[in-house]
Formats: sequence, C-alpha cells, structure tokens
Amino acid sequence: MKIKLFRGYFFIFILSVLSPQLHADKNSIPSGNIDNNTCIVCHKKHNPQLIKDWGSSIHASTQPVTDCISCHGKNHNNSAAMARPDKTCIECHGGDKSPVVHSYTSSKHGIIMRLEKNTYDWQQPLAQANYRAPGCSYCHMHDSNHNINSLSRDSLMDKKAADNNETSIRSVCQDCHAPRYITRLLVNGENMLEIARKKVREGAGLIEQASALFSESELKPARQVMEKMQHHLKNVYLGVGHQSPDYQWWHGHPALDGDLLNIKGIISELYRNKDTKAP
Amino acid sequence: MISIILVPLGFYYVNWSKSGEGAGLYSRDWKPDEVFAYWNPDDFYQPVKSVVGVFKGEECINCHKGVTPGIVKDWQASRHSKADKKVFCSDCHGDNHENLHMPTPKVCASCHTVQHQQFVDEKRYGFPSHALAMERALDAKHFVDKPKAEVTACLQCHSVATKCDSCHSRHKFSAAEARRPEACITCHSGPPHPDDETYFNSAHGQLYLKEGDQWDWSKPLKKGNYPAPTCAYCHMDEGKHQVADKSIWKFGLKQINPLSSGNEIKRNKWIKLCSDCHDKNWSAQQLKAMDAERKKTWNKLYQAEAILKDLRSNNNLFPSTELRPPYPGDTKHSLIQRERIGFFEGQASAFYNVSPIERDYFNMWYFGNLGAYKGSAHGDNSFVKKWHASMDENLKDIKIKAEQLQRSEKIKTNTKIIKDIWHKGEYTEFNQENN
Repeated sequence: MKIKLFRGYFFIFILSVLSPQLHADKNSIPSGNIDNNTCIVCHKKHNPQLIKDWGSSIHASTQPVTDCISCHGKNHNNSAAMARPDKTCIECHGGDKSPVVHSYTSSKHGIIMRLEKNTYDWQQPLAQANYRAPGCSYCHMHDSNHNINSLSRDSLMDKKAADNNETSIRSVCQDCHAPRYITRLLVNGENMLEIARKKVREGAGLIEQASALFSESELKPARQVMEKMQHHLKNVYLGVGHQSPDYQWWHGHPALDGDLLNIKGIISELYRNKDTKAP
Repeated sequence: MISIILVPLGFYYVNWSKSGEGAGLYSRDWKPDEVFAYWNPDDFYQPVKSVVGVFKGEECINCHKGVTPGIVKDWQASRHSKADKKVFCSDCHGDNHENLHMPTPKVCASCHTVQHQQFVDEKRYGFPSHALAMERALDAKHFVDKPKAEVTACLQCHSVATKCDSCHSRHKFSAAEARRPEACITCHSGPPHPDDETYFNSAHGQLYLKEGDQWDWSKPLKKGNYPAPTCAYCHMDEGKHQVADKSIWKFGLKQINPLSSGNEIKRNKWIKLCSDCHDKNWSAQQLKAMDAERKKTWNKLYQAEAILKDLRSNNNLFPSTELRPPYPGDTKHSLIQRERIGFFEGQASAFYNVSPIERDYFNMWYFGNLGAYKGSAHGDNSFVKKWHASMDENLKDIKIKAEQLQRSEKIKTNTKIIKDIWHKGEYTEFNQENN
C-alpha cells in the first residue's frame, strides 16, 4: 500500500517538475483539449487538498493511472458534471454485471438513480443531498473527496479495518438518514460480515487441520471451494456496503453455507476412506 | 370434555409461544437484532428519547432541513407537500418527538383506504404474497435458527408487508416510481427469483428498456396506456394491490395442479389480461406451454428426490443426521431426527449442515427449477434452456454421487472425527449459541 501511495505522489512530483511552463490562474480556465499535466499543475495550486487526496487514492496507482482525464474528459468545459454520473465508474469497474456494480444498481439507491438520473442537475456538488439517490460518486467522492478509498477497506478478513472509515461513512449517510439508523445499520452490517468471516475461517481451519494427514492433491477440491468462499464473502461485503439484500443473502450467506458443507463433505469422505483402508 | 380442555389450551399455548422477545410462532427461541426495528416496526420499534418536545409539521421541516436535508427535499418533491392540505411529517410519525413511530401500512391507510384494503385482502390468496411476507419469514425455521445479524437481509425484503416504502420509496412515495419494473427488482432478483433478468430479457422487457424512459408513468396500469407490459401492469393490473391474485404456480417450490377449478379462474384472468394486446388463443397456448415446461421440470425434480429418499432408506446419506447438527428448530420442536427431503418434509430450510448431495438437490430445486420457472413465466426462452440444461447436469451429478454413496462402506472408526468436523468450528458453534 505504501509503495502504491509513494507511486501516486511520485507521479504528481514528476508532473510538477516537467511542466514549469504552466501558470494558469483562477480566471483563466483553459479552453480546448487539455492533458493531465495541465490539470495537475493548475489544481495543485488552487486546490492542493484535492490533488493530495487523489494521490493517496488507489486511482493514482492503477496501471494505467486513473488520472483526471480518465473521468473528467479532455475538455474543461462541463468536466465535473461529466464525471459525476455512475457510467463514468461502471466502465472500469467491470460493467453492469460485475458484483461491485450490480450490488449497487439492484439496491434501492441504485434503482432510484436508474429511474431519475436524467432529471438530476449534475452541476450540483456531491453533498447536501443534492441528488435524491446517491450514485457511486456521491458516496465514494462525497463533497469532492478525491480519495476514493475513504469508504472502502483493504482487507475483508480484518475486522479492525471497519473502524478507519466509520466517520467517513457517517458523514455521507447522514445527509438523508437519522444517526441511530446509521449506527444500527453499521453495527448490523459489521456483524453480518463477521459471521461470514466465521464461515470462511471455519472452512480454512478444516483444510489446515486435514493438511497434516492428507496430500495436496487429495485436498485440491476443498481448496477450490475455499476460493469460491472468498467470492461469496466479498458478495456479503458488497451487499452490506451497497445495501443489497440479494448480495447479503442469496449471493452471500447461503452460498457460503453451501461452500462450508462441501468442504466438510470432502474432508469427511477423506476420513471415511482412510477409515475403511485402515487395517 | 377433552376438546373443552384442549382447544383453550391450544390457544393459550400459541399465545404463550408468540409472547417472547422475538416475534411469530417461535418468538421465545430468539432475540431480535436492533436493526429489525426498521423492518418490522410494529414488533420492535422504540422511539429515540434524545429529542424532547411536541412539534408542528413546519417545525419538523425547519429542523430537519439542517439535520437530514435529503428527506426534506424528498418530501418537498412529493405530492404530500403539494396537496391543498399538506401531509406533514407529524401526520405520519406523530408530533411528540419522544414518542415517534415508523409509519406502517395502517398509518398510510388513514388516507389511502382503498389501496390498503386491497393490500390486506391479498392474504386470502395465501403465501407467497406481499401481505403475509413478514409473518412467514419470522416463522421460517432457518430464520429462527440462524444468528440474527446473518438473516437481516430476509427482513429487508419481507418488510414489504410492514411498510409501503418498499415500492413507493420514502419520502417521495411516488405511484409512478412503483409502476416501473425497477421498483420490484431490489427483492425480485437473484438465484431463486430471477424476475428481473427474465423480464428484461423478454420481448416485453426489451421494449421497456428501449423506450420505457419516454412513457408517461403517471397513467394508470390499464389497457392502451403502455406499449409493453411491466411487472405491475400484469401483476397489479388496474393498480390492484392484491399482487398474488392470479398466481397459479406461486413460489414454484412445490408442484400444483394447474388445471384445478381455482386455477382455471386465475388462468382466465391471465388470458383476459394478455388479450389487452394478444389474441386469446395465442395467450391460452402460452399458458399451456408453461404447464408443459413445469411438468418437465417436476419430472426431473422427482427423479432426484427419489434418489435421495432411496439413499435415506438404505442409510447411505453421508454424513447422516447422527453425525451432523440437528435440522433447524429440531432440538426443541421435534423428537425424531431424520433427513428432510423435498418441500413437504421442510427441506426448504435445510440448506446448511446437510450432506453435499442434499445441498446439490437444494440447488437444483431452488435455482435450476425456479430459474426455468421464471424464464417460462416471463417469456425468456434462453433462461428456460439454460436452467433445464443445468438441471440435467445436476441430475446426472446426483446419480453419480448416489452410486458412490451406495458403494461406500459404512464408517467404523473415525466417527468422532467426522462428528467433530460437522459439530465444531467457529461458525457452527457460534450458530448453536446465538440465534
């Protein structure tokens, strides 16, 4: 992670050094096509926090870098409004059918957005409930926070990771929802996720124990199920984050139940065969 | 004499069992998660005591403009704020802040009488129905048995019985929004009820996706008002809130007789509805094709069920009930432990802690069967083909696994290890102690 952050900052640094010719002031908004260097140099002067936030985000260290023009286009005119709608994000985040997108688009927020997006004024800042339904950017770039990671977490298995982004999550939800409602949903969501982790740890523990007695090739089918568990754990996470009951449940918990009993089944069979082979 | 004693005793027992900390028939067996207050307010909602005072509607608005601007903006965009006699926050939530309540359908009924009557009337069509969704969820064995934070998602969708904003999202409560198919898909999606995919894939859905944004959604759901039918156009024709009134195959988890006299009435209702656009004979033919598809599916499902029941009779299921944790609810409500197979034995609740072959059948029955059903009902042949192929595959696998199980020798010495595999472990033990 640190290396990625460093890469982001390094990228900004290089751009600043290589582009000394650019000294646009506030009143001279560039016209025509601009390149990413131009954006960075000028915005570093006028809103350094924005550039810093972007530099700390995963967007700054993707390959290729998700830079200003990736979302805002090459023309300064209307560049904020063009970046805000969901389609900007969906293109890179796996398309309509990827779990990260589908868990949102099938949530209540997502469906209201789908129905009303053409009626919204996309010039409005991403705050103060200026949009009836929150889109990707409303939550993940709330109030223009260009650190896209502020609501997400690095590790799904680490419970502590939740504490780091609770304040950011609250500051978004409270535009529409009551404080107690937010608290209860956060606590419930974390518990739901922890239960999913318990299933994953139980499965992993069984394989670990069995690995003392059985060969890797015998355990291969169980390990393949374990890989599915990681996907289903992520579905629970996405279901909680995007408030999609379908991802919390059908794509999540009962799927994990199936994985766990299959791991148990595979390992029980190994013991049964061992038993019958015993002298 | 015996009945004079037993009947009141029966009533007393049911009342007693419903008076626990949870809700429903098994309320004494579980405690609610705090978040349930929002999905089932009648049973679990307690008002916040931190704000004191009695407020008028305008006062609520003025304060909440700052506290939660989103809901105020929503209300301002709603018909409630534009009526001659405005419907304020306090009209639905109460005016004493220490004693506020979540508006349930009964609250909405004070103005929307007809819709509420229809909504409640849906109960006579049985379950599944929106009106019975909450009580049936609370009484499901797996809901009672599992940790409550895990099964919260159940109540999110099943709260369609306890709050009108499942379809008319708060605080705009728009009829036009609820008419659009998207209003249904947050719940009507996913493996056991892919209503969204099958509808959007159908010719009806394709037309909607292409042109739907241009249609006038303020119009009632009547003949001539919409170029293609939507979820609500067919299932809530003319705006009727008895969504289950024409439901023949219902959830699709058990075989029914589609030609019973009751179902003939429903069939004729469908034909009448389809003939808003289609020829009557053509519509009747489509319904017949669906009967045939269902028959084909049940033929496959019964074959799988028979294989499982044979395995059970010969004590070939592995692990059997002696080796694995009890079926949900069995420890307290049933003396005899045995594997539940098929709908009538309650296998719908047995998708965890069962042997892999039982879960394979569950997947075939829940996902394959219901996928084909919805494809067939909504006119998506690609789905019908896909899930029939999948069921064929499932059946083949079940046969192979069953043969292996029949050949396997009975477990002798490792019984304790296998019992531990199924009874111990972080989640399994947590589940035994927490529900």
